Amino acid sequence: MAPSSTQQVLLSPAELSYLHTSLSLNPPVRPDARTSSQFRPLIAETDILPGTNGSARICFADGTEAIVGIKAEVEKSRPSYQASADRNVAEDDDDEEDEETRRDEQVAKEKKGLNEWVEMSVEIPGFRDDDSMPVFMAAMLSEALLADGAFTNRLWINRRFHWKLYLDILLLSQPLSYPLPLLSLTTHLALLSTRIPRLKSEEDEDPLFDDDWAASVFLYPRTEALIRPPVTLLVMSVGDNIIFDPTKEELAVAESVLAVSVGERPQEKGQGDMDVDSGKPVRDLRLLAVRTIDPPSRLTPAGVPNTLNTATGGTAAGTTEQASSKRETMEEEGVWQPPRGGAKRKLIAAMIQAVLARGGVAEEVLDGLDAVELG
Amino acid sequence: MTSLKRSLASDPYASNISSKVYVRSTKSGKVQKIVREVYLRQDIPCSSKLCSACLKTAPRDASGILPPFVLSDTPAGTKEFPQGHYLVPDTNALLNAMDLFEHNSAFYDVIILQTVLEELRNRSLPLYNRLIGLTKSEDKRFYVFFNDFRLETYVTREVGESINDRNDRAVRKAVHWYSEHLTQSVKATGQRKINPAIVMLSDDKDNLSKAKADGISASSLEKYVAGLENSDQLLDMISVAKENRETKDANAKAAENLYQEYFSVSKMMTGVKNGTLHQGIFNVSPYNYLEGSVHVPAFDKSLLVLGRENINRSVQGDVVVIEILPKDQWKEPSTKIIEEDTLNKNENPDAEDGEQVVTERERRALQEEVKKVHSKGTEGRAQPTARVVGVVKRNWRQYVGHIDESSVSQAAKQSRKQQMVFLIPMDKRIPKIRVRTRQAGEIIGKRVLVTIDSWDRDSRYPVGHFVRSLGDLETKGAETEALLLEYDVQYRPFPKAVLDCLPKEGHNWIVPPSMEDPGWVNRRDLRGLQICSIDPIGCQDIDDALHARPLPNGNFEVGVHIADVSHFVKPNNAMDAEASIRGTTVYLVDKRIDMLPMLLGTDLCSLKPYVERYAFSAIWEITPDAEIVNSEFTKSVIKSREAFSYQDAQKRVDDASQQDELTTAMRTLLMLSKKFKQKRMDAGALSLSSPEVRVETESETSDPIDVKTKEHLDTMSLVEEFMLLANCSVAAKIYDAFPQTAMLRRHGAPPKTNFEELANQLKVKRNLELKTDSSKALADSLDACVDPQEPFFNTLVRIMATRCMMSAEYFCSGTQAYPEFRHYGLASEIYTHFTSPIRRYADLVAHRQLAAAIDYEQLDASVRSKGKLEAVCKNINVRHRNAQQAGRASIEYYVGQALKGRIVEEEGFVMKVFSNGFVVFVPRFGIESLIRLRDLADIEPESTFDAENYILKTSGSREVEVELFEKVVVRISDVVEEGTGKRKVKLELVKTGSK
Repeated sequence: MAPSSTQQVLLSPAELSYLHTSLSLNPPVRPDARTSSQFRPLIAETDILPGTNGSARICFADGTEAIVGIKAEVEKSRPSYQASADRNVAEDDDDEEDEETRRDEQVAKEKKGLNEWVEMSVEIPGFRDDDSMPVFMAAMLSEALLADGAFTNRLWINRRFHWKLYLDILLLSQPLSYPLPLLSLTTHLALLSTRIPRLKSEEDEDPLFDDDWAASVFLYPRTEALIRPPVTLLVMSVGDNIIFDPTKEELAVAESVLAVSVGERPQEKGQGDMDVDSGKPVRDLRLLAVRTIDPPSRLTPAGVPNTLNTATGGTAAGTTEQASSKRETMEEEGVWQPPRGGAKRKLIAAMIQAVLARGGVAEEVLDGLDAVELG
Repeated sequence: MTSLKRSLASDPYASNISSKVYVRSTKSGKVQKIVREVYLRQDIPCSSKLCSACLKTAPRDASGILPPFVLSDTPAGTKEFPQGHYLVPDTNALLNAMDLFEHNSAFYDVIILQTVLEELRNRSLPLYNRLIGLTKSEDKRFYVFFNDFRLETYVTREVGESINDRNDRAVRKAVHWYSEHLTQSVKATGQRKINPAIVMLSDDKDNLSKAKADGISASSLEKYVAGLENSDQLLDMISVAKENRETKDANAKAAENLYQEYFSVSKMMTGVKNGTLHQGIFNVSPYNYLEGSVHVPAFDKSLLVLGRENINRSVQGDVVVIEILPKDQWKEPSTKIIEEDTLNKNENPDAEDGEQVVTERERRALQEEVKKVHSKGTEGRAQPTARVVGVVKRNWRQYVGHIDESSVSQAAKQSRKQQMVFLIPMDKRIPKIRVRTRQAGEIIGKRVLVTIDSWDRDSRYPVGHFVRSLGDLETKGAETEALLLEYDVQYRPFPKAVLDCLPKEGHNWIVPPSMEDPGWVNRRDLRGLQICSIDPIGCQDIDDALHARPLPNGNFEVGVHIADVSHFVKPNNAMDAEASIRGTTVYLVDKRIDMLPMLLGTDLCSLKPYVERYAFSAIWEITPDAEIVNSEFTKSVIKSREAFSYQDAQKRVDDASQQDELTTAMRTLLMLSKKFKQKRMDAGALSLSSPEVRVETESETSDPIDVKTKEHLDTMSLVEEFMLLANCSVAAKIYDAFPQTAMLRRHGAPPKTNFEELANQLKVKRNLELKTDSSKALADSLDACVDPQEPFFNTLVRIMATRCMMSAEYFCSGTQAYPEFRHYGLASEIYTHFTSPIRRYADLVAHRQLAAAIDYEQLDASVRSKGKLEAVCKNINVRHRNAQQAGRASIEYYVGQALKGRIVEEEGFVMKVFSNGFVVFVPRFGIESLIRLRDLADIEPESTFDAENYILKTSGSREVEVELFEKVVVRISDVVEEGTGKRKVKLELVKTGSK
């Protein structure tokens, strides 16, 4: 379980209990009057750093803000012994008929990228770069990016060279709420705006590029409909309610928190058109990764029920062990008790479903990001 | 979810700042996106003398001086623009017609836009350099307007717009701005009613039509030129590269690609890096135009490139990438002379269709070669061959030649119709060039200058355009200029900036009489010494003078005094820059092209007799056995007592009655020089030989009257020995002071393979052995190469040995290891050139370094930087070689002229034997020439060639047997060579052997 990171929220047990109760209602009542799947407005722009290959900045309504810069460098590929062995086998085979198809397959196989071609670094103010928080964030973001194995193929130039991508993710503000979705969305936008110089050389020659930047190509070409980098969304639950885009106060009473990474499945030709009923093409979403996150609510101070409070005529427990064991069994309305135990499997399934469903949250987010004008 | 985007427009400075984005690929393989901010300004002047507004705002330099405005206030008008006009060419116009812009009759007041200049630099560096030269010349009035830095003319690239379109738009915008700006400023002054038109010159139809839509006056090059006087001549100077492109589209089907396509740049680079392809400079054999060779670093011996298809459109001097051919296609270098004009006569330059790269006859000629190699079955001698797969850099220059008369149709001679003709370059290694001209009738029989524009895959010969005519064939002026152009000698008069660097006093300059003068600081007064100079007759630029006097201890004091040129030519001024470009003075038979302006070369620096001059002196104490006791260097003031010619000096020394101080000093010097020479020879110095003749000319008309071989006098070696001594001591001194940056001269030991052929020839023909282990061994074995019956044989062998050597070169000491400094020919460990600063730039650099080494002055930064020195060395090495070749070519021409109309029979020697001809060297005139088998008789005789024994036997129409080193008698007459239009001596075999 990924560690929680937000600073401690300064709410009293009574306030926490109130918040929890209102979020448990059906429909839940959120402090800022949003519906459970509604996102806060955000400000996004791309290509803000002229020196990078792609960059983006997103600013959430609560004041958290992130910048992502992406730099691509040409790097020599390590010779892979496997590939050359394969090739030798193919050359020995003197069946000429389907040599061409085999070569195509070969190329397709060789076009496989390696995960080490992407390097991600996350910087969060107040944290050292080897603290668990930035390391986990980077791990989760790259996990989502590399999950489908198709991303690094975009970095393949030829058998001898590839692009190495450096993603520098920088949180500008204090990590008020859990910054993962912010960083993920910003990275997504930055990747969308990333352009690499157009290749002029052929085959396995030393790569030679067009020196006209305007001729450079997008890493995610516009022509490839609906293939987009993944996004990671934060979903929390209170009772049976599933709440998206939680604020830090809401996180303080979350019973479980999930980080759900969603990507788009590359569409098979022709298949996509069949079930288009509206004019808009339908996204074929798929789940890339799910991580549970240690909700900060576990660290909140518990409320003291009247029965254990001497001031209200109760009897205080003799030791802390006694106190906690007594509280285990007590379920009193209006007294805050930090959530215990994991999330229910059914609930997790429901949460994932809510993300992936057609017309669901992921689709909305992706549509919203698509609308951001590039550079 | 909503998203917002902040707009950049809120930035108040946004209008002044723009940026340029591009991709840079570094040598190490990095690919970077580069963003450069552009700060736009409003004070960049239009530089027209009509404009007063710009005069106020134009930026001034640090001392508050405004650079003068360039464009004239009364520009020339044409029919179309009677009010006068400024020209604004776009990049294509410059690419296609740079020669036009350099022409003197038109093209004044030209605005060169920064956009255009930068584009030109990317497209063609040589053209860019020529344009920069034009912008510097004051009389052409070319002004570079930085339109991309001026707010009003800056153009941002629009989405989806190509760079070219953006640049074209920038040009149009600048033209628009100029015309509005000038209208306004002319109105403001109110003096004149008409203001000049701003005319855009472009060859791009799209650009022209857009200009029309924008309401800008624009014109295509051809239309504009057609409106000028002498338009016929000017029209020929427009490059045909573009024209061709248009016509090609029309008959694209018909055009067949004759040559293989070049590899892409990246493919070549990858190949060169991998070692599968090789890069080198393409050289054509002077005897066989279908055989080229490329020396690549990977192999000791050059790779052969045989046949037109393999040569694949490369021209002598191009940097090419080659691919080695499979072993079964390896061949021997040819033993046959193949000349283009003999094989491909009567071709039609206009023929586009049915053209073949390799004509039948060419194919047959090559076929025979192959057969021979196969028949021999000696695979050991076959050399690796290669084919050209791409050209990295074209080294095309302007070529001098003449029009092939047979390619001009008779009807067209009179008319002004444009037609294709062949130009035959003077340099045999350059292929024929197809030139389109309207003045075919006029330029027949003239020396003309052309440039190559392009060589497409579907054309057998390169296409070029006419630049200018130098004059009639065989007139002195035209031929001399042709020589200078061919050898790239700078012969334009010195520009004003250079002349401004001369001392103000001019010829009245004298050594300051007062010893208090700063010129005397650290200068020794040697006016009392008995100094004299010894030079060839008529020498005006006297570099060196000598003195010798006995010392009380029985030793001698000997001084070599060199003209102190570095006093007059200060580093980094215009004169220094010009001298470093010229590199050396070029001596032709009738002309001298100076490195330094006349005033310095023949007067102020020249160590003339009876006047005081500044000098740089090297003074030694030498024992009577020619051992050097000590040496010192100093700047000095001398007064030469007499300027002798070699002959006068010799007479005086020989005349026992002369006992004056000067003569005895010369005798001392002569005595010492003989000892020095002996020492040098013992150390293994080579005495080499090259054919040297002198052309005697009539003093008035400088028409050649006679040719004489140079006689050798003792006084010549007297001077030579002491110059060598001075050079060696200076070299040691400056190397000691500046181990990294000393300007030195080296002569590499020739690789053994160079002598293989000659050694084999001597072995087979004369049973002599040529040892080449060291210079000493070589010198000894050369001494042994004597034929008692034939005194000239030894000289002949020496001449041939000289041709096997490497050429000496200047270098900067930091670039070589000490053992590599050796001068092979002089057998000296270290050597430099110090003694002729008037005529060689290297000596001038050595002077500066020596002056710094003796703490006379500070060493200038330019002679301290290794990189700069290397560039200087590279240039002067080339210039030096060119100057030598130009000099030789000039002698060759004059020998031809001297023999004009005469028929002489002379003795000659066979130097080289081919399977269909042989080369004869005639020592009397220092000429060598080829005698082809077909010249022997009317019907070409049958021949058998014994390559092992170097014997060529003919039978049939004439029976002779010619072998290497054989003495023959030839009849020398003069003919105008069909191929090059040169008047050349023609040799005819009279008889073989002296028997």
